[in-house]
Amino acid sequence: MFEQLAGLLTHLGEKRIAVLHLGGFEIRFDIMTLIMSWIVILLLVGLALLLRKGLKQPVEEKPSRTQAALDGMIDLLKGQLSDNFASERLAARMFPFVSTLFLYVLLSNWLSVVPYLSSPTQNINITFGLALLVFIMSHVLAVRHKGTRKWLKGFLEPYAFMLPINLVGEIAKPLSHAFRLFGNVLAGTFLVTVIMVKFVPIALPPVLNIIFGLFFGAIQAFVFAILAVAYINVAVEE
Amino acid sequence: MLQEAGNAVSGISGADIALAAKYVAAGLCMGIGAIGPAIGEGMAAAHALDGMARQPEMQGALLRTMVLGQAISETTGIYSLLIAIVLLFVV
Repeated sequence: MFEQLAGLLTHLGEKRIAVLHLGGFEIRFDIMTLIMSWIVILLLVGLALLLRKGLKQPVEEKPSRTQAALDGMIDLLKGQLSDNFASERLAARMFPFVSTLFLYVLLSNWLSVVPYLSSPTQNINITFGLALLVFIMSHVLAVRHKGTRKWLKGFLEPYAFMLPINLVGEIAKPLSHAFRLFGNVLAGTFLVTVIMVKFVPIALPPVLNIIFGLFFGAIQAFVFAILAVAYINVAVEE
Repeated sequence: MLQEAGNAVSGISGADIALAAKYVAAGLCMGIGAIGPAIGEGMAAAHALDGMARQPEMQGALLRTMVLGQAISETTGIYSLLIAIVLLFVV
C-alpha cells in the first residue's frame, strides 16, 4: 500500500528528472518543479504588468478601483511586515525583498489547489534555496551595517568559547526555515492524497484542499516572510 | 512444545520484523512528536488570548507574535513528521 502511495505521490509531483552531464559532474533537474516555479514566476510578473496599467504616481483625487484595492493590500502587508524591522530605513529598504518572498511562497502554496498542478514548495530544494537567500541577505546586510570586524565579533558573543554554539545556531536558522515550509506543504499534500485515494474520493478532498492549500498555505507564507524579517533583524542588530 | 511454537513463528523473517518496526516507529515518532508542539502552541494561543482580552487594542501585534511563536514551536513537530516520512518511504 505504501509503495502505491509513494508512487502516486511522485506521480502527483511528476518526478521527471533531467540529468545534465557537465565535465564529470552530474546535475539533476526536477522538470516538474522547474515548470511549476516558472508558472508562479510568470503569474507574478504577468499580474504585475497587468495591474501596473491602472496605477498612477502621484495619487489623484479619485484613485481608480485597481489602485484603491492594491493600495489597501500593500498597506496591509506593510503594516504586518514593516513594523517588525528595527529601523524605518531598514524597513523601507527590505520591504520589497520580503514582500516578494511572501508573494512567491503564497502563490506557490496556492498552486496545489489547481488540479494537475503541484506546489513548487513541495520540493525541499526550492524552500532551501529561498531560506539560503534570506540567510545570505541577512549576513550581507549585517556586514554592511556593522562592518566586518563587528560582524565577526558577533560570533564570539557573549564569550569566545561560545563560537561553536553560535555557528551551529546560525546554520540551524536556514535549515529550520526551509524544513518548516517544506514539511507543512508536504504534510498538507500527503493528507489530501491519502484521504482522496484511500478513504473518501468525493466531496471531502476539495474541502481539505481549501483548508490545507489556501488557509495553511497563506499562514505558512506569512510565517516564512515574518521569519525572514526576524532573521534579518537579529543579524543587523547591534 | 517449544518446537511447535518455533515452527509457528518460522514464517516470519527478519525483513518482516524490520518492516513492522518501521511502521511502529513511524507511528510512535509522529504521535510522540506531536505532543510537544500541541502543548506549546496551545499555551501560546492561551496567553495571547489573555493579553487580547486585557488589551483589545493590542490585538494585531499579539496575533502576529503569536503566529510567529507558534510557527517556531511547531518546528519540532515538523522534524518528527519528516523523520516519519523518511522511515516510511525512504529507509
